[in-house]
Amino acid sequence: MEQANPLRPDGESKGGVLAHLERLENQTSRSRKRSEAQAQERVLGTKIQKLRHLRDDPRAALWHRRGSVKACIANVEPNRTVEVNEQEALEEKLENVKAILQAYHFTGLSGKLTSRGVCVCINTAFEGNLLDSYFVDLVIQKPLRIHHHSVPVFIPLEEIAAKYLQTNIQHFLFSLCEYLNAYSGRKYQADRLQSDFAALLTGPLQRNPLCNLLSFTYKLDPGGQSFPFCARLLYKDLTATLPTDVTVTCQGGEALSTSWEEQRASHETLFCTKPLHQVFASFARREKLEMSLVS
Amino acid sequence: MDETVAEFIKRTILKIPLNELTTILKAWDFLSENQLQTVNFRQRKESVVQHLIHLCEEKRASLNDAALLDIIYTQFHQHQKVWDVFQMSKGPGEDVDLFDMKQFKNSFKKILQRALKNVTVSFRETEENAVWIRIAWGTQYTKPNQYKPTYVVYYSQTPYAFKSSSTLRRNTPLLGQALTVASKHHQIVKMDLRSRYLDSLKAIVFKQYNQTFETHNSATPLQERSLGLDINMDSRIIHENIVEKERVQRITQETFGDYPQPQLEFAQYKLETKFKSDLNGSILAEREEPLRCLIKFSSPHLLEALKSLAPAALFSRIQKLLCYSASHSQGTQDLSSYVPLYTRC
Repeated sequence: MEQANPLRPDGESKGGVLAHLERLENQTSRSRKRSEAQAQERVLGTKIQKLRHLRDDPRAALWHRRGSVKACIANVEPNRTVEVNEQEALEEKLENVKAILQAYHFTGLSGKLTSRGVCVCINTAFEGNLLDSYFVDLVIQKPLRIHHHSVPVFIPLEEIAAKYLQTNIQHFLFSLCEYLNAYSGRKYQADRLQSDFAALLTGPLQRNPLCNLLSFTYKLDPGGQSFPFCARLLYKDLTATLPTDVTVTCQGGEALSTSWEEQRASHETLFCTKPLHQVFASFARREKLEMSLVS
Repeated sequence: MDETVAEFIKRTILKIPLNELTTILKAWDFLSENQLQTVNFRQRKESVVQHLIHLCEEKRASLNDAALLDIIYTQFHQHQKVWDVFQMSKGPGEDVDLFDMKQFKNSFKKILQRALKNVTVSFRETEENAVWIRIAWGTQYTKPNQYKPTYVVYYSQTPYAFKSSSTLRRNTPLLGQALTVASKHHQIVKMDLRSRYLDSLKAIVFKQYNQTFETHNSATPLQERSLGLDINMDSRIIHENIVEKERVQRITQETFGDYPQPQLEFAQYKLETKFKSDLNGSILAEREEPLRCLIKFSSPHLLEALKSLAPAALFSRIQKLLCYSASHSQGTQDLSSYVPLYTRC
């Protein structure tokens, strides 16, 4: 007992100290935990508030905007006539711009920017008649290249591109325009001959894709007794619409009278200097004149 | 009329399906309208054929007329043959091509007839500046075999000709020579391009596959294409998907365009490549020589199939594979330069 006694005060004090220490330790850890929890709570609390704002602000803005749009619509009704006039003015401007863009076609060379470059449009013409259009879609990159095109296969596009596309694009476009316009012109002449002057031809017109070799037989007086002429036109210059070589011969001609020879020579000169359909138009006029003189 | 000619015409007409018979006979333009009207086309086919042969005999059809009928039949049934593509070239500084059809035909026929005594050559011109040539081959001692002819479609004033593949390969060099000399070229080379569809081959070699061009007149608004998305999905996921799908659609449209693709059935690439490996000691990566392989894609309509891969999201993988193979491939250069997919890398 006495052993316990001395222990007791010590024990109590020891137990007391240790227990006290333990109690203090627990207290601090508890309070630490509490403050941590509180801090976390505060952080979460602010986060929640932020998210709420994030959700509510757009909603509020949306409501606000809806309200204002409704107000606007309500206000707009009486001002409709003003709007309609504005709309008409805009439409007119749009039509004007469209017309100007279309008018560019008459210059022969026009284009439109695309997402990767430019789409060039070449409008060909001959003697004031607007003929076919051809497109070349260019990609603006280094090196410049042709993406796709509608140029016919027999036009030497690759050769022209090889010569000029990389160094001088203007020259490339003008050279291509030359070839295409000349081809269109020759084609136009051949088509007109076939359609308008079929009566003067005694056989089918022989032509090739480039229309640079034409061969046909014709008579000046379709019903008459004269011998038909054979003409062979060669267009060695692909940028020209007039032939470079013309040969006119007379079928069934052994010894031709001088008048026939003169006619033959004059026809050769005519074909070299004037477009084909115009030459035939002059033949037709002459024939009509002679007929009217005879009758 | 020769018996062989009669037999030939009979066999040709028997091949023609009844519903095409009147169209083809009209295109042939050998029997007159009156004669055709006397035929009852609703009979059994054998009777119709008998009647037609009788009319041909009356009009004394020649071998040339029979050959012309054969050409027309083939023109209507182009897809039954497989067509090869040949490209000719001129020497540098050559004169302008003054193509004369008469001269070409005479020259072509003469060259073949000088080399092989027995050969039947027939021509038929079409409106698109093309001439169809039919050649029936014989030898010095045998008459031409009319049932195994070769067809050549030549587009004048272009370097291209299409030839039907035939089993008689030994005549190909002579044919090439005749074509080259008659059209005033120097060389002829067979391209790595083959198909049943002449129109598709034309579109590829003439580069006519896309004929839509942007002009100021054609301001068509971008069409709303349905992307096939599940409406019940969360709208935020739909948004993400839309961005990706639009990107894929844009690339597909830029690559393939909006036009119908030429019909190709297969594409073959030779690939020569070395392997890279992260792992050390990989056998493949250590090879000195590059690996050589052959990649073949085939489908009834190859380009449309590739185009439809895009929405299936396999697009980028195929693109990478093809870009890689195109940058290393040798041969089949013409095909890879056509399909814009491959030139984008």
